[in-house]
Amino acid sequence: MSKNILSVRNLHVKFVLRGRELHALRGINLDVRDGESIAIVGESGSGKSVLNKNFIGLLDQNGFIPEGEIRYYGMGDKLRHYPGAGSDDNGSYIDLTAFKKKEDWLRIRGSEICMIPQDPMTSLNPLKTIGWQISEALLLHKGMRGKMAYEETIRILEDVRIDDPRRRYKQYPHELSGGMRQRVVIAIAIACSPRILICDEPTTALDVTIQAQVLSLLHDLKERYHLTIIFITHDLGVVANIADRVAVMYAGDIVELGLVDEIFFDPRHPYTWALLSSLPQLGMRGEELYAIRGTPPNLFKEVQGDAFAARNPRALEIDKRELPPYFEVSPTHYARTWLLDPRAPKMDPPAVIQKLKELGKEETHHG
Amino acid sequence: MGSYIAKRLLRSVLTLVIILTIVFILVRQMPLEGYFPNFEKMTPEQIKNGLHSMGLDQPLPVQLYHFFRDLITKGDLGTSRIYRQNVPVAEILAPKIPVSVRLGTMSLIVSLLLGLPMGTLMAKYKGKFFDHFGTGVIVLIEAVPAAVYYLFIQFYGTEALGIGMTMLGDKDFNNWQYWILPVLSMSLGNIAYYAMWLRRYMVDESTKDYVLLARIKGAGEGRIMFRHIFRNAFVPMVQYIPTSFLNTVIGSIYIESLYSIPGMGGLLVDVIKKQDNAMVQAIVLLFACVGVIGLLLGDLMMVALDPRISLAKKGGDK
Repeated sequence: MSKNILSVRNLHVKFVLRGRELHALRGINLDVRDGESIAIVGESGSGKSVLNKNFIGLLDQNGFIPEGEIRYYGMGDKLRHYPGAGSDDNGSYIDLTAFKKKEDWLRIRGSEICMIPQDPMTSLNPLKTIGWQISEALLLHKGMRGKMAYEETIRILEDVRIDDPRRRYKQYPHELSGGMRQRVVIAIAIACSPRILICDEPTTALDVTIQAQVLSLLHDLKERYHLTIIFITHDLGVVANIADRVAVMYAGDIVELGLVDEIFFDPRHPYTWALLSSLPQLGMRGEELYAIRGTPPNLFKEVQGDAFAARNPRALEIDKRELPPYFEVSPTHYARTWLLDPRAPKMDPPAVIQKLKELGKEETHHG
Repeated sequence: MGSYIAKRLLRSVLTLVIILTIVFILVRQMPLEGYFPNFEKMTPEQIKNGLHSMGLDQPLPVQLYHFFRDLITKGDLGTSRIYRQNVPVAEILAPKIPVSVRLGTMSLIVSLLLGLPMGTLMAKYKGKFFDHFGTGVIVLIEAVPAAVYYLFIQFYGTEALGIGMTMLGDKDFNNWQYWILPVLSMSLGNIAYYAMWLRRYMVDESTKDYVLLARIKGAGEGRIMFRHIFRNAFVPMVQYIPTSFLNTVIGSIYIESLYSIPGMGGLLVDVIKKQDNAMVQAIVLLFACVGVIGLLLGDLMMVALDPRISLAKKGGDK
C-alpha cells in the first residue's frame, strides 16, 4: 500500500451565519494515498466542496476550523520551520490548518495542491490569451519566461489534446468551446505541476460526450504526471469510471469509505443504499424511480446519533441517540452504521442493492 | 476595423451637421434688439442696414446655405460682429483653445493618476479603514456643491502657496504654481468619479471565477489585483473617460473665470448673451466635435482593451 500524501484528522468546520453557527464538517477522517484517485460523493450541501476548500485555503471568510488537522506529506520537511510542521510514522508533514497568513498558502497552492473549478466557462480570464494564462502558472512555479515558457505551454496544450496549439496559444477564452476551455483549465493546473489535483465536479457543465473525453484525459494525465486526484462529484457514473476509492459524505461526515467495487457492489450504510437505489440506471422500467424521502438535517443544530437516521425507514433506536463508530467491513472498507454491530438485528439491504451484489459476484467471476 | 471607423466618422459628421443646424436656427429666433446695444435710438433704416451687414435679412435657408458653404469650402467659421467687431471667429478662438485644452489635459492626467490608484486601493482594502475613508472623501466631494469647494480651494490654496488669487498677465500664466489650484479644483470631481466606479467594478470582478482560478494557481494577492482584476474592471470604465474629459473642458467655465485663465470656458455664455451668432455657432461646433470624438475614442479604447468586442462584423461569429 502506498503512503499517505494527505491525512485529514477529526476535521471540524463551522460557519458563522447571521450570528448562528453552522456545523458544516463534523469530524472528518480521511487518508488520501499518494497516486490514487479518490472520489468524494454526496448530495449538495453534504460538505464535499467545503472539505476540499480547506486543502487550498479557500474557505469562505465566515468559515473557521475549531478542531482538527490536515496533514500534508508532499513537501517532506521543506517547511519544517512553519508552526504546523511535524512528523509521524508516515513521514514529515505540514499541518495546513496551522497556516495563518495568506502568503503561507502560496507555498501550497498550485505547486502542491491544485484544483479544477466547477465551471470552465467562467474560470478563465476573458482578457488574456490562453497562452498567457498557462504561461503565468509556469512563471509562478517554475520561473519560466519567454521562448522556454512558450515551448512548454505548447507542449502542455498538446498534452491536454488541444489541436493546433500554436494557433490556440494566441486565442482568447471566448473563441473556445466549453470542452476546450475545460482542457485549458486542466492545462493550467498541469502547468503548476501539483502533487494533488482536486477536481470539483469537473464534468457537470459539459455535455455527455465531452464528459467522457475529459475523464479519459484526466485518467491519462494522472498516469503521466503521477497525480493524486480527488474528485468531488455527485455523479456516480463518474465515480465508477475513474475512482480507485470512494468516500460517501452525508451531512458533513464520511459515512462509508471503501474501494470502488466495495461501495458499488457491497455497500453497508443505509445512506449508500439509498443513494445507489436512486440511480436511474438501476430503476425498473415502469416503476417509479426511487427517491430518498425527507431532507438532510439542519446543521445549525447539533446532530444526535446517526445523521441519516431520520430519513432511514430501517433506523434502529440507537441510531437516533448515539453516533455509530466506523465498523471495519474489510481492511479497505469502513462504514459508520450500527447495523454492522454484532448485536444489531440482521437486516437485508433493499432489493436493488442485493441485485448489485449479484452483479458484483458475476463480475469477479468473469473478471 | 477601418471601414467601421469610416462609417462611424460619417455618422459623426451627420451628427455635427444636425447640431449646427439646430443651433443656427435657434440663435436666429433671438429678438432683434439684442443685436444692437443702442436699439432704442436707432432709426428703422439703420436697423435694416445693420441686419443687412450681418446677413440676417436673408431667408433662413439661404443663410444656412451660406454658412455651410463657407464652412466647408473655405473653413470659414464666420466673423464676430459684437464680441469683437469684424474679427474672424477663428482668430479669436485660436489662442484660447490651447489654454483650455492644456487645463483639461492636466486635469485628466491628475484625475487618472489619483483616481485609479485610489479606487484600486479601496477595492484591495474593502471594508477596511482606507475604503471607509475613501468613501467618505468621495461622498464629501459629490455632496458639496462644486462652487463651494472651488472657492474654498482658491481662498485657502492661494494663501498657502503665497500667490495671487488670479492669474495676472503672462508672468503668472507661465508660473506652474498658478496652475496647481485650478487643475486640482477641476480634478476633484473626476477623481471621486473614477475612484468610485473603479472600486465598484473591481469589487464586482474580485468575486468572479477566474479570480478564484488565479488564486488556485498560486498567484499572490498583488498579482491578482493588478494583472487580473484591474484590467477587467478598467474595461467598463474606459468608455467614460473621454466623456468625462469633455465634461471637464466644458465645466471649466467657472474655474477659468475664477482664476482669470484666458481660455474658452466663459466664452460661450458670454457670446450667447451678446447674441454674437457666428461665435455661438463656432463654439458649439467645437464642443460638439470634442463630444463626438470623445465617444468614438471611448469605443475604440474598449475595443483595444477587450478582445471580446469586435467592431468589424464577422459573419456567423458570436
